[in-house]
Amino acid sequence: MNTLAQTALTIVMFGSLFSVLTLSLNLQYARGGMINFGTVAYFAAGAYAYAIVTQEPPHGLDQYLVGLDAPWWAGFIAAGIAAMAFAILTGWPTLRLRGEYLALTTFAFAEMLSSLLVNERRIGNGTVGLANVERPDANILGLSENIVYAGAAFLLMLATAYAFSRLLASPYGRAIDAVRDDEVAAQAIGKDIARLRFQVFVLSSIPIGFAGALYAMITTLVNPNLFSAEVTFFVWIALVLGGERTILGAVVGTMALVGFQEAIRAIPFESVRAAEIAASAEDIVTGILFIVILRWQPFAAFARRRQPA
Amino acid sequence: MTRDLLVVDKVTKRFGGLKAVGGDAGLSFSVPEGTFLGLIGPNGAGKSTTFNLISGVLKPTSGSVILDGKDLSTARASDIASFGLGRTFQTPRAFPSLTVLENVMVGADNEGETLLSVFRGSWRPRERALRDKAKEVLERVGLTERINDVVANLSGGELRMLEVARQLVRDPKILLLDEPTAGVDPSLQAKLSRFLVDLHGEGRTLVVVEHNLHFLLQIADSVVVLQNGELLSNGTPGEIKSDEKVIAAYLGADHAA
Repeated sequence: MNTLAQTALTIVMFGSLFSVLTLSLNLQYARGGMINFGTVAYFAAGAYAYAIVTQEPPHGLDQYLVGLDAPWWAGFIAAGIAAMAFAILTGWPTLRLRGEYLALTTFAFAEMLSSLLVNERRIGNGTVGLANVERPDANILGLSENIVYAGAAFLLMLATAYAFSRLLASPYGRAIDAVRDDEVAAQAIGKDIARLRFQVFVLSSIPIGFAGALYAMITTLVNPNLFSAEVTFFVWIALVLGGERTILGAVVGTMALVGFQEAIRAIPFESVRAAEIAASAEDIVTGILFIVILRWQPFAAFARRRQPA
Repeated sequence: MTRDLLVVDKVTKRFGGLKAVGGDAGLSFSVPEGTFLGLIGPNGAGKSTTFNLISGVLKPTSGSVILDGKDLSTARASDIASFGLGRTFQTPRAFPSLTVLENVMVGADNEGETLLSVFRGSWRPRERALRDKAKEVLERVGLTERINDVVANLSGGELRMLEVARQLVRDPKILLLDEPTAGVDPSLQAKLSRFLVDLHGEGRTLVVVEHNLHFLLQIADSVVVLQNGELLSNGTPGEIKSDEKVIAAYLGADHAA
């Protein structure tokens, strides 16, 4: 396979994977009005749950306590449940908070989880992480692993987009919009604000957990470094790029952001020095591109034209 | 003898040391079923506070507000609406991201607003009936031509009617209107009063807070006058007009203004 096709495949794989996160964030924030600055924590919960459920019991130098050696699909389901459980745990005490207060608490919860994963080595070997994460054998299908995982990520994205659009097109979606627009007026027509907000928060974290499991399969490694706050901000930037409130916008924004990063990485460099310069240039160019995109909002305009949501 | 639908019993509300409503003894009055009650008083008389106490936005310091046997003073805000109390706001509140029609449709208590219903798609059959009902209500309030409009395009008076429509689709036992004439063009006020008389004629129970005394005295069949948070007078518009305490406290001030 040539380099261009490889890059395209990588873009589809990670673009689809992170689109799942952007879609969830779109539901939580653009529709539900909840600012979640801890998105990465639900992603990490899914990835770690998958790794722990599927890995072999500890031996040798392993410091982790639990390895269930269960099949991949059990790990996948566990990932969704773990993200959901973490959302229940973090959403229950915090969802009464509004705006920036919720943003701060969700961010704090994510940092706590990250700190726990680093310091409590019995969960996942601390900073070393869990390597050689089990994954299903893609060769059964007679395709290359990259194609199989890109396809799996794409399917997960489609399933998430379908489920969320179905939710938002229903009276439930209408009630969510009403609650976000004006809580007092929504209460005056009998909407249970606490129930709706909590359900949206918990429900939208489940696909993030699934994406975490898939991410662990693709990288075959989970460690706390992979799940830093950078992931959260990456997803937020993707959402802003694509424009809020449309499902297509969330996907296009994520694809564009991943595409840009992968395109830079795919450039062959002659020397280490050239690569270093390119790395710093990437940051500068990224910054300029953000300003340009935010000023003219091309992806948002594109998504709005295609699908009024 | 009609039964009392809403009973305000010895309600007081204090903000810090300030006796906002009810003084020491507490404010008491009742709203029999089918009544059009006007709640009036000069600025600062405690009308809005009383309104908020009845609608559950504020909790009384002491006393109780009972709607059809249910105590509103301890209920949650969203439950109060489900008990059958509908209300509008002094400054109209609409949902800007929804169309006019959706603003009304969202008003109904909808079994489709559960995850199970979304999952099974069982909300679809009911949606058409709800849409028809919302259109019917919008026709009543004169917004038929605006159903697919965004609320940002509505005038102040239209927003008020939209709020009423959103409540009517719920079929509340009692409808509370907070200053319905505020910000409404005088030419539309006549239309508004006809509309309220129509609602009353259907047997609906209405409580309307107004500082526009003349508007209310023409159409209400019972009036509660507040002053300094306490009950000044309570009776038919005829009795109120000839009540010397009211003339001194309210009409005098009104004429002077």
